[in-house]
Amino acid sequence: MGWLVGLALFVSGGLGVANAQPTPRVAAIDWGQAQTLIAIGAAPVAMAQIASYGDWVGGPAVPDSVRELGLRVQPNMELLSQLDLDAITITPMYANSRTRLAQVASVESIDVYYHEGSAWDNTVESTRKLARLVHREAAAEQLIETTRADIEAAARRLPADPEPLLVIQFIDARHVRVFGDNSLIGNVMTRMGVANAWQEQTNFWGFALVPIERLAAIENARMAVLDPMPVGVAEEIASSVLWQSLPAVRDRPILDLPAVWSFGGLPSATRFARGLAAAYDGRETAGETETPESAP
Amino acid sequence: MTPTRLCSLFLVVLGVACVWALATIMPGGLGMLAAPGDSLTGILLRYNWLPRLVASLLGGAGLALAGVLMQQTLRNPLAAPTTLGVVSGVHLALLLATLFAPWLLLHVRGVVGFVGGAAAMGLVFALAWRRALAPTVVVLAGLVVNLYLGALVVVLLLFNQEALRGMMIWGAGSLAQNNWDGVFYLLPRLAIGALAATALSRALALLDLDDVNAKNLGVSLQYLRAGALGVAVFVASVVVVELGVIGFVGLAAPSIVRLAGARTLKARLVWAPVLGALLLAVTDQVLQLTTHDSAALIPTGATTAALGAPLLLWLIPRLNMRRPVPQTMAEAPTVRLRAPSRLLLALVVAAAAMVVIALLVGRGADGWTWPLQLPWAETGAWRLPRVLAAGAAGLMLSLAGTIIQRVSGNPMASPEVLGISAGTAMGVLAVILLWPAAGTSVMLGAGIFGAFATLALLVVLNARSDFEPERVLLTGISVLFLFDAISKIVLAGSDPRTQQLLAWMSGTTYYVDMPLALTVTALAAVLLLATRPLAAWLDLLPLGVPTARALGVNVTFSRLLLLAVVAVLTAGATLVVGPLSFVGLLAPHMARLLGLTRAREQLAGAVVIGALLMILADWAGRVVLFPSEIPAGLVATLIGGSYFMWRLRRM
Repeated sequence: MGWLVGLALFVSGGLGVANAQPTPRVAAIDWGQAQTLIAIGAAPVAMAQIASYGDWVGGPAVPDSVRELGLRVQPNMELLSQLDLDAITITPMYANSRTRLAQVASVESIDVYYHEGSAWDNTVESTRKLARLVHREAAAEQLIETTRADIEAAARRLPADPEPLLVIQFIDARHVRVFGDNSLIGNVMTRMGVANAWQEQTNFWGFALVPIERLAAIENARMAVLDPMPVGVAEEIASSVLWQSLPAVRDRPILDLPAVWSFGGLPSATRFARGLAAAYDGRETAGETETPESAP
Repeated sequence: MTPTRLCSLFLVVLGVACVWALATIMPGGLGMLAAPGDSLTGILLRYNWLPRLVASLLGGAGLALAGVLMQQTLRNPLAAPTTLGVVSGVHLALLLATLFAPWLLLHVRGVVGFVGGAAAMGLVFALAWRRALAPTVVVLAGLVVNLYLGALVVVLLLFNQEALRGMMIWGAGSLAQNNWDGVFYLLPRLAIGALAATALSRALALLDLDDVNAKNLGVSLQYLRAGALGVAVFVASVVVVELGVIGFVGLAAPSIVRLAGARTLKARLVWAPVLGALLLAVTDQVLQLTTHDSAALIPTGATTAALGAPLLLWLIPRLNMRRPVPQTMAEAPTVRLRAPSRLLLALVVAAAAMVVIALLVGRGADGWTWPLQLPWAETGAWRLPRVLAAGAAGLMLSLAGTIIQRVSGNPMASPEVLGISAGTAMGVLAVILLWPAAGTSVMLGAGIFGAFATLALLVVLNARSDFEPERVLLTGISVLFLFDAISKIVLAGSDPRTQQLLAWMSGTTYYVDMPLALTVTALAAVLLLATRPLAAWLDLLPLGVPTARALGVNVTFSRLLLLAVVAVLTAGATLVVGPLSFVGLLAPHMARLLGLTRAREQLAGAVVIGALLMILADWAGRVVLFPSEIPAGLVATLIGGSYFMWRLRRM
């Protein structure tokens, strides 16, 4: 719900914040940061790979006014320099673009995964930093609060004492990403009082890429599958004895979750929490942008 | 060591690896063997571990069979599904189908793969046809096709990283299975392939004779060759479609059994598949054992390829490459221009015009802009370093290409083939992975280090053969295979940073700033001047070693020096435009076709053409999909590919 509030703020922004400083013109390279900026009513002037954002991040929707910059790793410099920007936000993943971007506008590198701390705390902190940049501190606090409230509300919709959850995303029919405790998704689960069934190694971003037989050892867990599913995977796992025999598949129905950008901002956290609650309810993820189709 | 002993040895190794792997990765260790069939452990054993073992055995056998057929048909010890481009063809075809016609994959996946593989091999043959499919030429043509298709794959991945993530795992050959479907897919098809190979084996054995004798014995060589190659492509594409890109087994297994004493075709047809099966299965078991608890995925197919590259280096000097093929390496006679300076002047004017266009014409926030309509700081200031760098890179690559083509007397040679660009790329790759926040300068340093490490390898391995050009080239190809394998492992890892790697590998000038552009330009200018005195060697070396010696050239020294110059040139260019580009191959060709036949004239013509091509490629890449950019290396590759088609028609 948080991003809806944000969107409302964005729509009313022209009146409500008129007496404050004008909104700085910002370009966002990272999808999570662009998403957060849209959610706090300060949509970036330009961002990268807007069409793919629609498929993989889902929401909130990108306003029509936002310009396309090209690939995230290669935002178009000529275009950036023509947009009279005040700032460009990046994450340390784009560190090697920093000096180049700095010639156009001041560069704000805001990090979630490259320093100590939980993904949740760092995401909250990164939301505040982004908000300071665009003078939307109040909206950010509101986003943080609504996100918390939304996650708690979603948690209340869960059955009492839920089983540990195994959140995966299919890469192909034989390999999945599993989200561990220090992914954003893992953090949201913790906040919802759901235990994470994946306690093995994960990488820098808090997930592991494993063949599905590695899930066999996990007993007493509920499987949740994030969209989108690659082409042909549904057919292949339907006929897979191994998949059907995994304890987490065999014992309980699988939960289908909407696409959630697992490296995203707070709106992705809400999206996951609401998707999880809705999946438990057996209801649709009401009111959101529709679930993206499988890979284009 | 006989093939029997060799295979028995590998069988024992496989047995040990299997027991060890089972004891380590299965819940309950070896006790699980007694577990009831419907328990999870039993299912893991029966539906995961066992089908994977069988699939790896079948896949290895199939690739080795394809390798034997190809090697026998072409009388080429280096022919294999990978070297002939079949694997790349299947790869590209499946990527295209995933993106544009996913419904094809649900029903006719195998057909898509076969068509892609056959088309790629057909392209290789077309390239090498006029040279009577001589072994080295076929391998070099295969390399060119691999580079070309590889460039297209990289760009598809670059623009569709999320959608193609699964294809990256497949592209690296993970053998994970979750039922017997894969085995049931492979088994009947490979059986058909094996039967067909047996049926053809008697006729194929006659190919050990030369063409005339074989014809006298009543063999229709054309149909025989087409049939055998068709079977080989079918078998290889079946394996690749089902199990993913698996490097090297198809090349190594037949060569090893031949070295182990399998002299007749019949013996190779039996032992190579056996050894191939064991090689792949052992690699896969050992990998399962070592990576069973890691968060990253180390796919088997790419690992075999990475392990195979050193083996290939070891094999090359032991292969009999001097087969009795007609001497067709001489270049097509071209008429020398009477007034080359006039042509050179025209080329320089064209290049200057291209520079002006590249600097002043472009698209902005509101569509196409007039020259100087927007402030210089918002257009030209960004374009200038890229134009300079593209021009300098094109110049250096074509200089290197001209030298290597003249030294090797091989018109298919190019700097990419030497593996220097691959070496540079491995250095940069290491930085991206190990030091994610490092800046451009660190990457440059690592790239230079990689280039010189590769050069050292080339020198050490080839000193004994007196830098015989063909062996130097084959060493380079091995390095290239190694880089290809490593980059596939990295891409399969699904790390978000891989997009950065893809961006650089596709050959973009995007990351060039002014200091770097000036450095590269200065380097290009200095090396261009330094090459002038060496031009005399370039006229004499193509005449052959004895003639060159007789004319007073110290062949070893001159080759070594020229090799070093080529290495520095290639490293400098690769840092700017990445490891993929055909400019080093094309520019010298075009210069020669235009009638610039003497070394000095060809060098001058090639560098101007090279610079012009690269600047054109960079400009086109910037404006066509604005604001997205197509990397200059890819555009150059596309131009290069079209040029090759055009050349083929003339042949």
